[in-house]
Amino acid sequence: MRKKAWREAGTGYLLLSPTLFVLLLFIIGPILFAIFLAFHKVQLLGTTTFEFVGFDNFKRMTGDLRAKIALWNTVKYVVLVVPCQTMLALVLAATLNAGLKGQKFFRIVYFLPTLTSSAVLTLIFMWMYNQNGLINDLLQAVGLPTYNWLGDPKVALNAIMVMNIWSTAPFFMVIYLAALQDIPDSLYEAAELDGANAIQKFWYVTVPYLRPVTSFVVIMGLIGTFQLFDQSYIFSAGSGGPNNSTLTVVLLIYQYAFKTLGTMGYAAALAFALAIIILIATLVQRRFSKEESLY
Amino acid sequence: MKKWLAIGMSTMLFGSALAGCSSGEEKTAGKETSGTKNEKVEVTLAGWGGNPTEQKLLQQTLDEFQKKYPNIKVKYEVISDQYMDVIKTRLVGGEGPDVFYLDAFEAPALIKTGALEPLDKYVTDDFDINDFEKPLLDAFKGEDGKIYGFPKDYSTLALFYNKKMFEEAGVEVPKTWDELREVAKKLTKGTQVYGFGVAPELARLYYIAESKGGKVVTDNKASFADPKVVEALQPIVDMHLKDKSAAQPSEVGANWGGEMFGQGKAAMVIEGNWAIPFLKDTFPNLEYGTAEIPTINGKKATMAYTVAYVMNKNSQKKEAAWKLISFLTGKEGMKIWTSKGLALPTRKSVAAELGFDKDPLRAPIVAGASYATVWQNGTNLPIITNNFNNQFVSAFLGQRPLADALKEAQETANKEIEGNK
Repeated sequence: MRKKAWREAGTGYLLLSPTLFVLLLFIIGPILFAIFLAFHKVQLLGTTTFEFVGFDNFKRMTGDLRAKIALWNTVKYVVLVVPCQTMLALVLAATLNAGLKGQKFFRIVYFLPTLTSSAVLTLIFMWMYNQNGLINDLLQAVGLPTYNWLGDPKVALNAIMVMNIWSTAPFFMVIYLAALQDIPDSLYEAAELDGANAIQKFWYVTVPYLRPVTSFVVIMGLIGTFQLFDQSYIFSAGSGGPNNSTLTVVLLIYQYAFKTLGTMGYAAALAFALAIIILIATLVQRRFSKEESLY
Repeated sequence: MKKWLAIGMSTMLFGSALAGCSSGEEKTAGKETSGTKNEKVEVTLAGWGGNPTEQKLLQQTLDEFQKKYPNIKVKYEVISDQYMDVIKTRLVGGEGPDVFYLDAFEAPALIKTGALEPLDKYVTDDFDINDFEKPLLDAFKGEDGKIYGFPKDYSTLALFYNKKMFEEAGVEVPKTWDELREVAKKLTKGTQVYGFGVAPELARLYYIAESKGGKVVTDNKASFADPKVVEALQPIVDMHLKDKSAAQPSEVGANWGGEMFGQGKAAMVIEGNWAIPFLKDTFPNLEYGTAEIPTINGKKATMAYTVAYVMNKNSQKKEAAWKLISFLTGKEGMKIWTSKGLALPTRKSVAAELGFDKDPLRAPIVAGASYATVWQNGTNLPIITNNFNNQFVSAFLGQRPLADALKEAQETANKEIEGNK
C-alpha cells in the first residue's frame, strides 16, 4: 500500500519535473541568489568577487537620501493611483453594465489602452506632454495654465500618474465587469421595492457585493504601482530626473544594479526591502477589507 | 519586482555559466588562429549608432579594413540605447564584443575593473603613438600608466549663432560671457525665441563651473558646492530666471540644443561638431555661424569629448581585434572615418591633411582643442554628474537657491561614493 503511494507520488513528481525545473531555475533560484547578494558586496565586472558584509547593505539604506526620495515618490504614487484607478474602473464597469446602447463597442474602446505596450504608450504620452504638445494646446484652448510636463519636477510624477491611471483602469474594469454579471437581479429588485434610486442601488448593493473583487483589484494595484519602473525610466531616460522627481524604488534598484559598478549587492538589498514593503502593504490592505466585511 | 529580478538574475546566472565556458574555449581558439593562417576570424565591434551618413562612413571604413585583411570579418553591432548598461552587462556575462566604443567619461571606472585589455604591448613604431593629441590619448590611460584605448575622434564645444537673428537685432557675435548675456537679452522675443539655449547639465557646464577657480571634483569626490563654483554658475541661472533670455530645450518642446537652434527657438546655443551634420540634414536653409566660446575672466575655455576603441580582456581573438583597432585609429582608417567632417580626427597628421582648421564652420571647434578640458575626472564622475544634474535643474527652474541645491547634491553624491567603497 505504502509502496504504491510512493510510486504514485514519484510519477507525479516526474510529470511535474519540467515545471519544477523552470520554477527553480527562473524563480526560486534567482530569489535565493538575490538574498545571497543582499548580504554581499559584489563586484561583477573584471574579476568577480563576493565579499560578505552582513547587514551593511541594509544599514546603508537608512542614510541614502536618494532611497528615501525614491520611497517617498513611490508611496505618493501608490496612494494616489490605486484609489483613483480602482474607483475609475468600478465606475466604468458599472456604466458599461447598465445596458446602454452600444456598450459592447465602448467596452472594446475602453479596453484598448491596456492592450498597448507600456513603452509605446509612454512615448506617445511624452509626445502629447511636450511643451507644444496636444495636452498643453487643449489646456490653453480652455484657458487653463500650461505646464512643462516633462521638465518640471513638480508635475513630472503627476504626468506619469495620469497616464498610468488611464492605461490600467480598463484592465480592472474588465474584472469588475465579470463580477457585475454575478450580482443577482433579485437584490436590485428588492432595493427598488424599498424605493432606492440608481445611486443608492450602486452604493448599497453593487459596491458591497463587489467587496472581494475590490480587495483583489486593490492588492494587484498595490503590487503593480509599487513596481513602477518602465514609465518613469522612459520619461527620464533612466535618470529619475528632473530633480529626482520621477525616481522610483525599482528605478533606483536598476541604477544601482546596472549603472554604477559594484553595487549589485546594495541593489539586491533594496529589492529585498521593497518586497517586504509590498508584503506589509498587502497585509494591511487585507486586514482593512476583512474588518469591513464583518458586519 | 519579482519579474524584474527573475530576468536580471537569470541573465547573470546564465552569464556566469557562459563565462565559464568561454574561458575554456579561449585556449583552443588561440591555437587555431596561430596554427592555420587562412582560417577566417570574426571580430565583433560594438558601438552606438549614429545618423545614416555616419553609419555609411563607418561601413566604408570597415570595408576597407576587410579588403586589407581578407581573413578577418567584422561583425558590427549597434547598441542604440543605454549603451554603457548594455556593455557592462554583456561584459559581466562574458558575452562582450571584442572591440567597442568607450566614452572618456566612463573610461576610468571601466579601466579600474580590469575588464579591458592594456594595449601597450601591441603598439608598433609604425602605429606612431605620438601622432595623437596628448590630452585625448591621456584620457584612456589607467592609473598604472598603461593605455587602454585609442581615441577615434573628438569634438569640442563652440558657439552656434543664427546669422539672421543677429542681423535683425543688430548685435555682434559676443566675445565674452558678459557680452553674451547682454546680446541674449536683445535677441530674446518673449517665450517664442530665446537668446540662449542652454543644457543645464554638468557635461556642458563643467568648464564654466571651474572658470572662477573652484573645483567640481577634488580627490575623486564632489566639491562643487564651493562658493567659487556657485558664483561661476549663477549667471546661467540668472539668465533663465531674471533676464528670461535663456531656456533649456524641453521648455520649447525640443529634445536638445541643436534642434532648438534649428527650429529658430534659440538664437545661440553651445554645441559641438555633431550639430553641424544634423543642421545640414534637418534644417538645410538655416543660416548660422560658429565662433569660439566667449571668454570668462578673459580666459578661453571649452569642453572636449572623446571616444576610443577599446579591447575586451576576455576576447578570444585579440590579435585580430588589435588589427581592427590599429586600422580604425591608424592614419589610413581615421582619414576615411573623419573625411566628411562628421567627427574630428585625433591624429595631428590626419587633421593637418584634412584641413578642418580652415573650414569656416569647424575652425572654432578645432581651435578649442588646444585649451579644452577633456570631459573626464576620475572613477566617480558619473555619480557626481548624476547628482549635480538632478539638483542643478531645480535651481535653474527657480525652486531653490543655487547654493543650497549644489550643497545638497554634493552631500548626496559623496555619501553615495562613500557607500560604494
